[in-house]
Amino acid sequence: MDDRIVCRCEDVHLDEIEKCLGEADGHVSVREIKLQTRAGMGICQGRTCGPLLAALIQEKAAKTPDDCGIGANTPVRPVSLADLAGSGDDADLRSVVVEAN
Amino acid sequence: MKCDLAIIGAGPAGLSAAVAAAEAGARVVVVDENARPGGRLLGQLHEEPGRVWWIGAEVSKTLANRALAASVQILTGREVWGLFPQWKVALDGGDSITAEYVVVATGAAERALPVPGWTIPGVMAIGAAQTLTNYYRVRPGERIAVVGIDPLALTVAHELKMSGADVVGIYLPPKDAFSGPRSNPDTNLRYLAGMADLAPNAFLRIGGRLANVPLLRKIAVALFPRFGLPLMGTRLHLRQSVVRICGDDQVKRVDVALVDRHGNPGRTHSIMVDCVCISGGLYPVQELTQDCDVAQISELGGTIPLHSPEMETSRKNLFVAGNVTGIEGAKIAMAQGTLAGTVIAARLGHLHDPGEAIRRAAEAVVTAREQSAITFMPEINKGRKIAEDLWRQRTGETNNDLEISV
Repeated sequence: MDDRIVCRCEDVHLDEIEKCLGEADGHVSVREIKLQTRAGMGICQGRTCGPLLAALIQEKAAKTPDDCGIGANTPVRPVSLADLAGSGDDADLRSVVVEAN
Repeated sequence: MKCDLAIIGAGPAGLSAAVAAAEAGARVVVVDENARPGGRLLGQLHEEPGRVWWIGAEVSKTLANRALAASVQILTGREVWGLFPQWKVALDGGDSITAEYVVVATGAAERALPVPGWTIPGVMAIGAAQTLTNYYRVRPGERIAVVGIDPLALTVAHELKMSGADVVGIYLPPKDAFSGPRSNPDTNLRYLAGMADLAPNAFLRIGGRLANVPLLRKIAVALFPRFGLPLMGTRLHLRQSVVRICGDDQVKRVDVALVDRHGNPGRTHSIMVDCVCISGGLYPVQELTQDCDVAQISELGGTIPLHSPEMETSRKNLFVAGNVTGIEGAKIAMAQGTLAGTVIAARLGHLHDPGEAIRRAAEAVVTAREQSAITFMPEINKGRKIAEDLWRQRTGETNNDLEISV
């Protein structure tokens, strides 16, 4: 068994994912791995481990990549409830001044 | 906030789109989550054919200043968390931008390669090492091993060397489900072919070009010295792979295996290092274009939004430019951005001769591809062809909602 970390945010190790894939009696999607192991459910939302999970599925289940990868949902960045509820009164959005050197 | 065009990403593609549209008269806002405009340009520093240096920080400063001179608003340190049709760009802080047109120029992210030990402090992605070295001027370590052989890894290895670090070698990743063809010496010769014009070493320059011929590639791999080839002050190891990174709270050493022609490991030895930089390649960041027609095209680096020759996606007035459409160099991203910005300026009625302007911008993309000194994806042309064919099929079969004419 290989205990290296695959999902850093949720501390999911390769052996857990391989167990999940090994116990399945049919095709496993990235989404199913995510739901079973929490891989891809942390702060980065699978930006790091998503392609890794897809690679594992492709290898173990000989799946074509068409359903691989973790689909992102809105919001695609962490956002506070206060921001979500914000009115969008944004007349004074600041602009950057690019320094001379 | 209202404007004609909202651009997400202030890298080479986004800034170029902003300049093209704003100089024609469009009201443009650019949003970027980083502290400064420039994107990955900020870390780029290498010598191109003809002894010309590509200094990404200078290029980005010139672009940003041009954009500001054309009254573009550049919002930095702001995150976009959503994109809603026709078109609203939702920002952190409860702000939003309403725009008739949007360009998604979100670029690419690095693929992780989970080499055993990859989470030990001192191990980082090659892009992080590049940013630390060239942008923050901080050396990421004193004795560095680079894992992964591709144009980005070789360029950054050279930059690390220039920064005064001891780069002990550039190695293959271990053969497993994650590294796939990247652990194969044969495939890696093809990656090297992608930067044959940049190679300072005659073996690589000639070998890189020969690598496009399969039989010659086999011979080149067989002849490749087991203990590597001197390259830019370090050693390139096509026949050795880093199989494990060791250390408790800090990287102490890497275990390196000699590998056969297919990447299978043999005898191992240890090398003391305090930093490991891993290059697993790049993939397009297309989370904001998920509702468009997309396709997974591995030759382009991953899933990409399909787009018209004018850079418009399957959703009306939503454009893309740069690495979100496939992994290529900054000059190509800039040309794509200029094309998207020009098309949008034309749609807004700001151009006297829109047909000619668009034709010239489209030609510039082709020229940038032909003259590109670095090819990141060996089969990029095949990938582009697949994407173009898929776009043509979809416009042929479905009653699309685009206005093709300008």
